[in-house]
Amino acid sequence: MAKGYLVDTTKCIGCRGCVVACKNWNQLPAEPTGFKGTYQTVADFSGNTFTYIGFNEYEENGQLKWYFTKRQCMHCLDPACMKVCPQKAISIVDGAVVRDYGKCAGCQYCASACPFHVPRYNTKINKETKCSMCAERVAEGMLPACVKACVTGALQFGERDELLAIAKERVNALKAEYPNARVYGENDAGGTSVLYVLADVPSKYGLPENPQVSALTTAWQKYVKPYGPWLIALTAAGSILSFFSTRLLKVGQRAHEEESLHG
Amino acid sequence: MRITRREFLKISSAAIATLPVLGFDLTPAMAQIGEFRIKNVKPVPTICPYCGCGCGLVVYAADGKVIATEGDPDHPINQGSTCAKGAALYQIYDNPRRMRKPLYRAPYSDHWEEKDWGWVLDRIVEKIKATRDKNFITKETVKVKDEKTGVESDVEINVNRTEAIATLGGAALDNEECYLYTKLARTLGVVYVEHQARL
Repeated sequence: MAKGYLVDTTKCIGCRGCVVACKNWNQLPAEPTGFKGTYQTVADFSGNTFTYIGFNEYEENGQLKWYFTKRQCMHCLDPACMKVCPQKAISIVDGAVVRDYGKCAGCQYCASACPFHVPRYNTKINKETKCSMCAERVAEGMLPACVKACVTGALQFGERDELLAIAKERVNALKAEYPNARVYGENDAGGTSVLYVLADVPSKYGLPENPQVSALTTAWQKYVKPYGPWLIALTAAGSILSFFSTRLLKVGQRAHEEESLHG
Repeated sequence: MRITRREFLKISSAAIATLPVLGFDLTPAMAQIGEFRIKNVKPVPTICPYCGCGCGLVVYAADGKVIATEGDPDHPINQGSTCAKGAALYQIYDNPRRMRKPLYRAPYSDHWEEKDWGWVLDRIVEKIKATRDKNFITKETVKVKDEKTGVESDVEINVNRTEAIATLGGAALDNEECYLYTKLARTLGVVYVEHQARL
């Protein structure tokens, strides 16, 4: 079976160790951050940021409450990015959706197809970048950098099936205190290798409630792309037809003109 | 069947030529995932220099260059995990703002000067010696109360200390370094021996 992550948001303390460990392993430069009225430093993904912690703040019963969520590529079981990639640069390796940067042309098509808006453009290498679940580390029997760095055990790595069982058990235990607790990623967006244990509804965590691949992408993939070559053939046939028809017309016209001159 | 040398070469070259056609090309599978850059690199354990927890970290270095740093899974304190600061250990090594030479600012001066290590260490020793000599206390008079009679009397005792110098250790020091540091301080007669760690 394929590998996966489990992000137990109820155990996360928002230390951002995973974020820095990710940057450290992937050798990504730091980016300037500013104060935006929240404790969250990294605001969003970028070409140099594959993961960040969302500090979703809410006031409940007169108290501040944080809904921490570690965001990264969800590693969908049926990734839209892989389907749309014209270079076939994206593939699944043991549950991880990885991209071959040698093949990626930087067309940013995957970014528009992703239901979680994860891939971002790196202007230095002119390619779309995202989390690879540290596939090169996993292949060598190591944990992904973020999972290894996690202090509280909020991040777990292993077989997706086993993690799903752990997640469900955890949710059952949480139900008494958090009635809205749920597992996210089991069937969302066709199932993802990254599973979340949420104490409340996904929207509170900044996660899409019902992640969908956009209708335009689906329509393009389903109807336009398979028949694309036919369009080329049709165009070619049309131009050949027009070439002859205009020729015939011109010949006819000339004949008509000559007739009128002599006549 | 007898095969001449020429025929043998023909057959073998034809066999080699068919290999790529039959799909023995492994490059796509290799290219899918990135290169594992710490392969066959021996990790060296060290202690995190930041807070007082003293987490264990490992440094992967080859050819005199640090390749990667991460938590030490065998360390009892952190068991491989790191906080945001510890995870950024690599930044100490690879940093344009890293101090590479000792800087010296003379008294009342408004700028820093680069000095070599020899000069700096000599200067420190010089200062310690001068301060210690100037402020050394060999004897102190203390009041001692006789338990039987209840009479207080002044008694002179040997103290051999200096109160003009203080030492401050750091969490980056390991057990043995801390021992040596304290030993030096005690030998000098320093009584203000401090450390940032709060374990």
